[in-house]
Amino acid sequence: MTRSPDQLPTVPEHYELVEPAAKPNLGLLYATAGVSAAGGFASDAAARALPALRKSPLGKVLPGSLLHRGGDRLRASLDLPRVAHVVEGLVVDPEWHEKFCRVVHARPRSLAPGSSETAVFSGALHSVAFPVAMSVLTRQDFPLPVMGMVHLTNTVQHVMDVAVGEELTATAWTENLRSHRAGTVVDAVVTLTRTDGTVAWAGRSGYLAKGLTAAIAGEDARAGEDEPTSSSLGAPFNAPQQTAQWSLRADTGRQYAGVSGDYNPIHLSGASAKALGMKGAIAHGMYTASRALAATAVPAEVPFSWSVEFAAPVVLPATVSVSVHDHGRREHWESSRVIAWDPERNRPHLELAVEPL
Amino acid sequence: MDNSQQNAQQSLRRAVVVAGNRIPFARAGGAYASASNQDMLTAAIDGLVARAGISGERLGAVAGGAVLKHSRDFNLTREAVLGSALDPATPAFDVQMACATGMETVSTISNKIRTGQIEAGIAGGVDSASDAPIAVSEGLRRALLQLQRAKTTTQKLKALKNLRPGDLVPSAPTTGEPRTGLSMGEHQALTTQQWDVSREDQDHIAAASHQNLAAAYDRGFFDDLVTPFKGVSRDNNMRADSTVEKLSTLKPVFGKKLSGEATMTAGNSTPLTDGASAVLLTSEDWAAEHHLAPLAEVVDSEAAAVDFVSGHEGLLMAPAYAVPRLLARQGVTLQDMDLIEIHEAFASTVLAIMAAWESEQFCRDRLGLSEPVGTVDRSKLNVNGSSLAAGHPFAATGGRIVASTAKELAARAKAEGRPQTALISVCAAGGQGVAMILRSV
Repeated sequence: MTRSPDQLPTVPEHYELVEPAAKPNLGLLYATAGVSAAGGFASDAAARALPALRKSPLGKVLPGSLLHRGGDRLRASLDLPRVAHVVEGLVVDPEWHEKFCRVVHARPRSLAPGSSETAVFSGALHSVAFPVAMSVLTRQDFPLPVMGMVHLTNTVQHVMDVAVGEELTATAWTENLRSHRAGTVVDAVVTLTRTDGTVAWAGRSGYLAKGLTAAIAGEDARAGEDEPTSSSLGAPFNAPQQTAQWSLRADTGRQYAGVSGDYNPIHLSGASAKALGMKGAIAHGMYTASRALAATAVPAEVPFSWSVEFAAPVVLPATVSVSVHDHGRREHWESSRVIAWDPERNRPHLELAVEPL
Repeated sequence: MDNSQQNAQQSLRRAVVVAGNRIPFARAGGAYASASNQDMLTAAIDGLVARAGISGERLGAVAGGAVLKHSRDFNLTREAVLGSALDPATPAFDVQMACATGMETVSTISNKIRTGQIEAGIAGGVDSASDAPIAVSEGLRRALLQLQRAKTTTQKLKALKNLRPGDLVPSAPTTGEPRTGLSMGEHQALTTQQWDVSREDQDHIAAASHQNLAAAYDRGFFDDLVTPFKGVSRDNNMRADSTVEKLSTLKPVFGKKLSGEATMTAGNSTPLTDGASAVLLTSEDWAAEHHLAPLAEVVDSEAAAVDFVSGHEGLLMAPAYAVPRLLARQGVTLQDMDLIEIHEAFASTVLAIMAAWESEQFCRDRLGLSEPVGTVDRSKLNVNGSSLAAGHPFAATGGRIVASTAKELAARAKAEGRPQTALISVCAAGGQGVAMILRSV
C-alpha cells in the first residue's frame, strides 16, 4: 500500500470525475459475461441501494470489456482509466440493511446512545460501494479482465457512522496497478461521502488478475482460485486458539448474493462455480469478512479501520474454525483480530485486523 | 463475609429441604418419547405431593422450567400445578437458566421462604430432548409473519416471494452456543485440551458415576426419591457394569478437529435425556406443622458467568468462579465440605473445574486468591452417581442433585452424630454456573 494508515484515499490528480456511463446491475453484469445461467438473478439489493442505477436501460448495462473481449485491447499498454465514477443520492434502505445484517450475523446498533437512528454496518457499506467500483472495473478502457479476478485484500477506513436512510455519494476509481508474482494487482478504491462533503467511509480492495498472459489468451475465467495467493498467511499455518465455528450451508453464496448484489456465478452453485474452474461454489470473501468483523468487539462511535487478507477460498458447504481475539473492551478497546481457517486441511481462509483510526 | 452481609443473612429464617421426587431419567427418543414437558413435570410434582402427604395444600409458589420449551408452554409450571394434586390456588412461575434452571428455582424458592414471603414451595424442572419443539426456518418464519400482516393480495404475494426451498426445512434445537456456533461438546473439548485432561481420568469419572448410581439404587437410596413413570423405574442410561476398560474402547466424538488427542466420548459425555424433578422446600415451622422431617437447610447460593465468547474462559467453567465466592461469603473452605456434587455435563468438566481449584496460577490470576482453593477429596465427590450415569434432562438436574444431596446429608448427620455440609456446583450454557451450600439440620 502506498498510503499511511491514517490517510484517507483521495481521487488522484488528473483523474476526471464522471458519472458512470454504463450503470451496472451486477446480476446482469455477470449474466452478460455469458458464463452461467445462474447470473440471471436480478440484484434487488444493488438496485435498492443504488436507486440512481435502477432504471438503467439494458443496452447500456453491458460492460464493453466483457462484450467484446478480444486480445487487442488487453495487449495494449496497461494504463488504468484516469476517471473516478461519482454516484450521488445513494440511500441505505432500512429493510435491506436488516436483511444484510441477518445474513452476516451483525447486530445493528443505534447511531448514538439514545438515538432512534440505526448506524449502517461497515460491511454493508461495502455492498453500497461495490457496484460503483464495478462500474469502473467493467469500463471498456479498464485493462484487466474482471471475470476470474481474485479478491486478495480489503481495507476499510470507517471514519464515522452513517445512518440508515442517510444520503451518500460514492466516488470510485482504480489505482496502484502493480505486478504480483501471480499476475497483476490493482486497487479499486471507493469513498462514501456525506452531503456535507466529509468522507465517512473509504474502502480499498486489492484484486489480482491471475497470470495476465493467460488472461490475454482468453483463459482468465478458468484460473484456479484455490491456492493461497497471499504471502502473510503463508505456510506453515499454526492454528490459533479456536473461539467459534461457522457452519456454512451450501446456499451461503446465494444468501449473500441476495443482499450484496454480487451474483458472481462462482458463489451461486456448484455447477456455476465448476463452469468457472472452481471445485465448487465458494463463499464471498466479503461475506466471511463481514462475519468476522461482526464478531469483533469494536465499540460504537470509535473511528476504526479494518483490513482483511484472503487466503484459501471457502468451498461450500463448509465448517470453518474461527478465532476472534479482542484486545481490550469498550473504552479500553485497542484492536481486534479474527482468523478463519479450514480445520481439516489446516489452511487459513482469512485474517482480519481491526484497529482504531 | 462482611458485617452487613452477615447481619442480613442472620436476620433471615431457614429454608429447608423436606422431600424430593423425580421420575427416572430416560435416554432421549426412548421410553418417554411421547411424553411432554408438562406430563413429566406434573408427574414429578404429583409424586412429591403424594410422598409428602400435602395433597390439596395451597403452597406459596411453585417454580419450574424447561430449557427446550415450546412457545405454547409459556406457563408450563402453572399448567403442571393445575394438573396436579395441589390446590389450584397455588401460584407458579417459570425460570430458564439453561442447565442451572433447577438450581435457580431452588435458590429462588428458598429465598422466598427465608425472607418470609412464603412458607412452602416446590422447585423443579423438566426437559424433553425427545418431544423437543421443532421450529420453522428463520426465512419461513419471517415470511409467515409478513403474510399475517399483509392486507392486500399484492402484499401477500410479496411476503411469499422471498421464500426459498431451503426455508421449508424445519430447524430443531441444538446445543450450539448462539454466539460462537460451537456445540457444548466442542466448547468443552477446547477446555479439555486447555487443562490437559486425560482420557483415562475422564473414563474413571464416568465409570464411578455409573457404579455409584447403581450401588445407590441397589441399597434402596432412591426409593423415596424416584417415582416410576411409563414403565421405567430406574434411570435407563445407567450401566451398572460400566468399567474404565469398557469405556476406553469408545471412539471420541468431540474435539476431533483440534490438534492433539481427542478424548471426549459418548461414554464420558452426558447423553440427551428426558426427565423431571421437584423438591419441596419449607420453613421449619411449616415442616413441623405438617409432620415433615427437614433433610437439610439451603444455606446460600451463588451464580457466576464467564466470558467464553472471546475464548477468555471455557464455556462450562463458571462454577470454578461461583464456588470460591460462595465459600468465602460463608466463611468456609472446600475442606470443610463433607459432600461435593459437581454436575457431570462431561467428565472433563468436573476434572477441569477441580484442576482449576488446584491451580495456583488460576486461583491467583482468575480468582484473585493468594492460595489455591484446594483439592477435592474424590471419596466425597458425586457419591451417589451423577449426570453421566443418570442422564441430564437439562432443567431437571438441579432438583435431582439437591434432593439426593439433602437426603444423603441427613443420613450421614444421623450416622455420624455431627452436622454435615455439602457443596453443589452446576455449569450451564451461556457460560453460567450456580453453586449452592446445603447443611444438615
